[in-house]
Amino acid sequence: MFDGFGKRFWKKLLRLFKRKKIIQLGFYGPVNAGKTTLANRISLDWLGTEVGTVSEIPHETRHVQKVENVRVATDNGELRMNIIDMPGIATQVDFKSFQEYGMSEEDAKERAKEATKGVIEAIKWLDDVDAVLIVMDSTEDPYTQVNVTIIGNLEARGIPAIIVANKIDDERASPSSIENAFPQHVVIPISARTGENLDKLYQAIQEHLT
Amino acid sequence: MGIQVDFISSESLRSKGSVEKINMILEKIKNNVIVVLEDGLTPVEETELIEATMREIDTEDFHGIEFYRMDHKTTRLRDKIADYISGRKSGLTIVGSARIVEAIRKEPDYISMLAKLEEESSEKKKKRKSKKKGVK
Repeated sequence: MFDGFGKRFWKKLLRLFKRKKIIQLGFYGPVNAGKTTLANRISLDWLGTEVGTVSEIPHETRHVQKVENVRVATDNGELRMNIIDMPGIATQVDFKSFQEYGMSEEDAKERAKEATKGVIEAIKWLDDVDAVLIVMDSTEDPYTQVNVTIIGNLEARGIPAIIVANKIDDERASPSSIENAFPQHVVIPISARTGENLDKLYQAIQEHLT
Repeated sequence: MGIQVDFISSESLRSKGSVEKINMILEKIKNNVIVVLEDGLTPVEETELIEATMREIDTEDFHGIEFYRMDHKTTRLRDKIADYISGRKSGLTIVGSARIVEAIRKEPDYISMLAKLEEESSEKKKKRKSKKKGVK
């Protein structure tokens, strides 16, 4: 018990004195929230390459994808980061849900196996990230157990985080629901698809996560 | 086939380490028991539960869990300090297999859980019973 507290205390203290030039920025969130779309948008804008493929079928990202040394010009100088795009966190993976998208049983089972490994890999990476963007779909109810668990975990580990309320280009979007659900956190409404408000996100990363 | 709900007291949970707690929960859930924990898991334990669940998922019988923690907001300073030091966030927690628990929803004044009764085939029942007894 004391060990856990001691570890968190020293981690927080060290963070005060140790400002890294390049931050390891993990993209966490539930499945299909738009993590890879956001990673692609940032990577395309600043490096000219994409990170991974996106799809409406859940668990398209089943392995951790890393883009190194992304340099973003901001009003306050330069933001340097390694982007780590994580598979979506889920509490269940049912191969039958993939078959609803026309996938064969064999392919669906294989995808399910890879998806479970992806979730484990994403959780393991919590030990190695400096800061996190929690990407949420602002057309969905934000108060889910997965979101609550991710946020509680980051708080317990002393990892600074910003909530990204994604998909504001969708008319059903309600970023204010996310702000109301997690009032203690910085929430930046964006559209990873159109790039809206990305400048505000970069500014927030620089202010709160570096 | 009926639904079994096991209530686990705070006292019983406190005597167990994280690994022991998670193994106990998963074993019950895999036997289609819905578990209600009087004392919630910490967020770190919750991720450990998700991780352990992912390892246990097989494509036929078990495809995950549904769970929900009702946050218990402490108001007494003493409790807040104790919670901070231990990293604990208490709150009644409901955990069940995704096969029988379809959804757990938070309403303004209550938590609503939708579970379904599933007819178990005799072959599946036999397999589950053998597994429980450790028979191969």
